Amino acid sequence: MISLRGVTLVYPNGTRALDAIDLEIAKGSFVFLVGHSGTGKSSLLRLLYREQLPSRGEVTVDAVRVDKLRRSKVPQLRRNVGVVFQDYKLLSDKTVWENVAFALQVTGARTRDVMRQVPRALDLVGLSHKSRMFPSELSGGEQQRTAIARALVNNPKILLCDEPTGNLDPANTNEIMDLLHRINLKGTTVVIATHNALVVDRMRRRVIRLEDGKIVADEERGYYIQAGQAGQPARPEIPAQSA
Amino acid sequence: MDWGRVRFFLSEVWRNFTRNLIMQLTAIGTVTVTIALLGGFLFTRETLGRIGDDVIKKIEISVFMSDRATPEDAKALAAALRADPRVKSVRYISKTEGLRQLRERLNGQIDTSLLTQNPLPEALRVKVADPERVRDVALTIRRNPKVANVEYAQDAVQKLLRISDVFGRIGLGVVALLIFTAAIIISNTIRLTVFARRREIAIMQLVGASSTYVRMPFICEGMIDGLLGSALALALLQLARLELLPKLTGALPFLPLATVTAGQGSFALQLLFVGAAVGIAASWFSVGRYLRA
Repeated sequence: MISLRGVTLVYPNGTRALDAIDLEIAKGSFVFLVGHSGTGKSSLLRLLYREQLPSRGEVTVDAVRVDKLRRSKVPQLRRNVGVVFQDYKLLSDKTVWENVAFALQVTGARTRDVMRQVPRALDLVGLSHKSRMFPSELSGGEQQRTAIARALVNNPKILLCDEPTGNLDPANTNEIMDLLHRINLKGTTVVIATHNALVVDRMRRRVIRLEDGKIVADEERGYYIQAGQAGQPARPEIPAQSA
Repeated sequence: MDWGRVRFFLSEVWRNFTRNLIMQLTAIGTVTVTIALLGGFLFTRETLGRIGDDVIKKIEISVFMSDRATPEDAKALAAALRADPRVKSVRYISKTEGLRQLRERLNGQIDTSLLTQNPLPEALRVKVADPERVRDVALTIRRNPKVANVEYAQDAVQKLLRISDVFGRIGLGVVALLIFTAAIIISNTIRLTVFARRREIAIMQLVGASSTYVRMPFICEGMIDGLLGSALALALLQLARLELLPKLTGALPFLPLATVTAGQGSFALQLLFVGAAVGIAASWFSVGRYLRA
């Protein structure tokens, strides 16, 4: 589903964000990208939805060479890749319903499709009863769930999350991670960039560790801090998706 | 027809338009001034053109036959000229008729009864169909060996044509400058709207909106600025026509102003089109730069 081969990303100021990354993520996977701030997690995600072009290498998403994609084809790619951010990026003057519907309306969806898919997305994230509220009237967790609903309303095959629990308290963090787990169970490939060790250790999924733009570890059922390093106590884990 | 999509699109256009109302009014005002000046210029140019045409139409080529030429020679030349497609009419003025007209013009200032013979030649008065061809026709007539002299107020015709040409060029230059200014103002207005809506644009691009879909509300905003500006200008021009034109016609009855209103419907459409086109072009350029950045 996602493939990076020899990907290097150097910003104009000379910062080497990614260095010769080779990475394969299968369809239906649930993957954590971990590492300290500035190790290239967000940069890697940006390559996947063509917010950034690599300096070298190949990026393939759902059989599409993203690095070679014509500008006019980028919108089509992005309808297939939902993205969620730490700061939610909701429109403050639109209700929950309108924020989610916006993602369909601006892609030219028919009204009847909007009326069918928005309630479905809100139902999935458990916000049907708050559809008329504005973001300022919601908790952090509810705002993030709205953002997730917007990211999913186009039925993307991939969901990218850049520090989705960065602004949330532990209770809301667990809610969001449970939601992302349920989304993954339905078949969506989920990739989460995070430096929240508790979240990673709780779920015991594939963990790809980045340091200075390089992959230094890739464990199928990993911890945030790998074996042999100062460990974290194990927490109850959520069962992985059955094959 | 999916009215929901239409409603959403119109709501986006409305949001753009009302986000930045002061700048919108500035842009509309600039377009109004530009189009009103354009309309005034076209009106003045057409009036001057009609004045010029009127004057030039009255210009006759006076053909004076040589002393050796007989009335039959003059009449033969007249017949030949009548057959020329460039010539509208030819009037034969015999020596006798010429003397009679001279006496009328002089009105007793000179006693012509003292003349022992008629000094005036056989003459023709020629009017051309196209005032621009006066010189050509005069040259043709001059080649006739029986013709002594050809006069047609050359200087006046050339000056009128030159004045008309210069006015046209200057006027076009001024109008082009004004249109450019209006385009800049609209472009800046759109850029401010784009900046104000940058978060929404970023989300639209994130969720996969095509650049056309992102661009269209702003293009419509520019078009509305242009159309409203033109409509206001047309209203002002119409007001001027109703209030000022009768006064001008009364004060300057010899000027052919009243006939300028012919073709008013197409004139209005042309001005509306110019306003809309300026708005669309300015906003297309403005949004395009942002999307490419």
